[in-house]
Amino acid sequence: MSAPLLSVENLSVDFHLKRGWLARSLTLSAVRGVSFAIEPGRTFGLVGESGSGKSTIGRAILRLAEPSAGRILFDGADIAAGGRRTPLAYRRDVQVVFQDPLSSLNPRQSVGTTIAQAIRRHRRSSGAALEKEIAGVLDSVGLATWQAKRHPHELSGGQRQRVAIARALAVRPRLIVCDEPVSALDVSTQSQVINLLVDLQRERGLSYLFIAHNLDVVRHISHSIGVLYLGRLVEVGPAARVYGAPAHPYTRMLLASTLVADPRVQAERSRARRTLPRSEPPSPLAPPPGCAFHTRCAWADETCRGGAPAFCARGGDRLVACHRLEEIERCAH
Amino acid sequence: MKRLLQPVPLVCLAWLALLAALALGAGAIAPHDPHLPAIKHRLASPGALYWLGTDDLGRDTLSRLIFGARTALLASFESVGIGLAAGVSLGLAAGYLGGWWDRVAMRLADVMQSIPALLLALALIGVLGKGLANAMVAVGVIFAVSFLRITRAVVLAEREQLYVDAARVLGLRPFAILLRQILPNIAAPLIVQASIALGTALLIEAMLSFLGVGAESNEVSWGAMLDTARQFQSQQPLLPVFPGLAITFSVLAFNLLGDVLRDAMMPAGTAHPRAATLAPAAPADTPPPPAAEDALLAVRDLTVAAPGGAELLSGVSFHLRRGETLGLVGESGCGKSITAAAIMGLLPAGVGVASGSIRLGGAELVGLPESELRRVRGKRAGMVFQEPVAALSPVHTVGRQLVDAVRAHEGKTGRLSGRAARERAAELLAMVGVPDPRRRLDDYPHQFSGGMAQRVVIAGALACEPELLIADEPTTALDVTIQAQVLDLLMDLRERLSMSVLLITHDLGVVADACDRLAVMYAGQIVETGTVEAAFARPRHPYTAALLAAMPRGEGSGTALATIPGRVPPAWDWPAGCRFHPRCAHALPGCAAAPVALADGVRCRRSGELHLQGTA
Repeated sequence: MSAPLLSVENLSVDFHLKRGWLARSLTLSAVRGVSFAIEPGRTFGLVGESGSGKSTIGRAILRLAEPSAGRILFDGADIAAGGRRTPLAYRRDVQVVFQDPLSSLNPRQSVGTTIAQAIRRHRRSSGAALEKEIAGVLDSVGLATWQAKRHPHELSGGQRQRVAIARALAVRPRLIVCDEPVSALDVSTQSQVINLLVDLQRERGLSYLFIAHNLDVVRHISHSIGVLYLGRLVEVGPAARVYGAPAHPYTRMLLASTLVADPRVQAERSRARRTLPRSEPPSPLAPPPGCAFHTRCAWADETCRGGAPAFCARGGDRLVACHRLEEIERCAH
Repeated sequence: MKRLLQPVPLVCLAWLALLAALALGAGAIAPHDPHLPAIKHRLASPGALYWLGTDDLGRDTLSRLIFGARTALLASFESVGIGLAAGVSLGLAAGYLGGWWDRVAMRLADVMQSIPALLLALALIGVLGKGLANAMVAVGVIFAVSFLRITRAVVLAEREQLYVDAARVLGLRPFAILLRQILPNIAAPLIVQASIALGTALLIEAMLSFLGVGAESNEVSWGAMLDTARQFQSQQPLLPVFPGLAITFSVLAFNLLGDVLRDAMMPAGTAHPRAATLAPAAPADTPPPPAAEDALLAVRDLTVAAPGGAELLSGVSFHLRRGETLGLVGESGCGKSITAAAIMGLLPAGVGVASGSIRLGGAELVGLPESELRRVRGKRAGMVFQEPVAALSPVHTVGRQLVDAVRAHEGKTGRLSGRAARERAAELLAMVGVPDPRRRLDDYPHQFSGGMAQRVVIAGALACEPELLIADEPTTALDVTIQAQVLDLLMDLRERLSMSVLLITHDLGVVADACDRLAVMYAGQIVETGTVEAAFARPRHPYTAALLAAMPRGEGSGTALATIPGRVPPAWDWPAGCRFHPRCAHALPGCAAAPVALADGVRCRRSGELHLQGTA
């Protein structure tokens, strides 16, 4: 196993919400003690529902959100070492692709301008050389050179997302944080963008942090998967294992809820999920004490309400945070 | 730009251009010296020598008006310039930097805004000395406050846009982000505001000069002319007319221009539909088997056209039996939602049913007058939308909205008392699985999570005990676990209330989970219909097969996902022949030749020879 490109250690992010003028501010712990690592050329998938803190982790890595505890190492160096300033080299190494390509592209800038400004911030280039670079970047995401003159509103959703990827690629990054990059797209376009990301990784050895709520998509693109619930990782491991043999009750629930386009398989899944207790996810403002999932878990008992479970290894490099893992596994067999 | 070429803005622009020309070339244009008294011509009426007459000292009114334009414009641009420079830069800083910057700037703005502009102007004149320039500085300061507020507000909104985050991740400097990224996007409201402020400034200048604290005696001002007119009006009634008109027209021109600019700078639509080239009519579809006896909804040859003639739907036919769930599938832009809107009579303005029939429980809906339609539709069909929170009014309690829905349909059971209606609303909430329904009636929509809000919307749709429920992407905005629960709820309700459900979705997983039959739409046409089992196991149209293949199915990234090249064309540009042929992997040259009819549930010339891969 090679040294990780990025490692997140015990990351916590709190937000202070103001409620009115005099009221005390509320603390929302969006991310609580999350650790994982991404190796060069690999994809780490982060799955979770809304409010699970998955985007916040991405924003902390991009230095768009301030961690309240823990640290993030890139290439072995703490990214917060320079205080609030972010070294330009880090901005070159780590880029982002957001969910909504319409909002993530400046509506008043043409595609060419958007990409040119990314390139020129990080290296000298102008005139014909710059034009050539822009054309090269556009070509690598499957857009034509003439589309550099287009504005975002003249493009389709899939084309916009290609432009967002091109902007990230333009600075030649080593890690791209993909925050729900395909969830706003139609199925056909979604698969085009996923294939593009996979191809780019193969050609350039990119690493991805791939954040999404769709477990099938995450499984397809990721080498490892982390499952988040209310700000905590509940299960981490190789994609095939987490997807193929989920251990944590929440991962099981997620998988059981994922719909497949096969009526017979889906009918079985539907039957299985209807036996699950149904409940609403608690508010991230008031996460349940102990194991945060206990309010929705069929296996929960007193221990689960008592304290947060620690990670325990489950075969090789899989980690699961559940008090009752052994009982659950015994029953499953 | 088009909007600026309408008559009103053109007149405004012309007037302002004239003013600017007069102001710039006052010395050359004015027929007389505006300061030269000619006592023997005092208070003359308009005539050959003095076109607009003279004032009490015999000075030419026309020349004074022309030089007055220079004073008015200079004063306006000075104050608005100061306001823009100070207000926008402070507003950008306050909005983008936030924190203490913001707090200090805003408190300062509060203080400034509580001082009357005129008082501030008088005070500044007291300190800096008399003179129009000093007075307009004060006005500029007041303008700065309002520009600061506007700039800050729009920056706060714009700062949350992802493109600003993306710029930060690129490592662009804050100053560059403010100037090159944010400023161009907030320019529109500022330009509009500046135009209106110019009018206000002109008015203030006139007012100050009228009061004698603005223009000096060696300057010519419309306001000062009015002051003179006030004194000598009884001897020369025409005196106040010309400066009065000049002020009115100028202020009006600035204000109207502001309104026009506001309209013109609205974000442009993504596309301008061109006049459609009418596609040759498709050969008549082989008549679909006469809708079964138990069909609740039967749509026949429905064609919906947009203004300009583009066909959004072309000859759509399908039926829905009682107690059945039909999935309407396709990419965005294929006409799924338009189909639902046509059934519910909710087509956007200008879009209308061109031909065809929609029968709901035996009653024809096409051609019914609105009032009749509302009666039929309201009693027999309910609708659930994609965004539950957008479908509920944020300012009313959920109980109030449900009671309204219940009472709107009370005809069936006679008038309900308020208490009974509330009881029924609680019943509905209980039916859709909202815990503690009686208490939650008093909650507002924002107090519900996405999944619970969607349950409330469903409860509202059930208020009329509908036979048909149309659900347009009901779970797309929800989390996976919640999506499954809402689908289960819909299926459960369908059984309990023996409803028919028309489920519109782009997610084939949803179809596999919840639907009995499906209708696949592409480019405004149905391209395949059949049972879900059959269509998924052995799709007969290449589009259905391509959609199925594009779904990731839990394999690793070793295998590339199948894709469909290109995208759905816009409605005014449907391809000739088979509309899918430009994107179809199985297309032959003949496919572009002639429209393809829907035969035996599939719209493909090659359906007989193709063996397409399904999921099962």
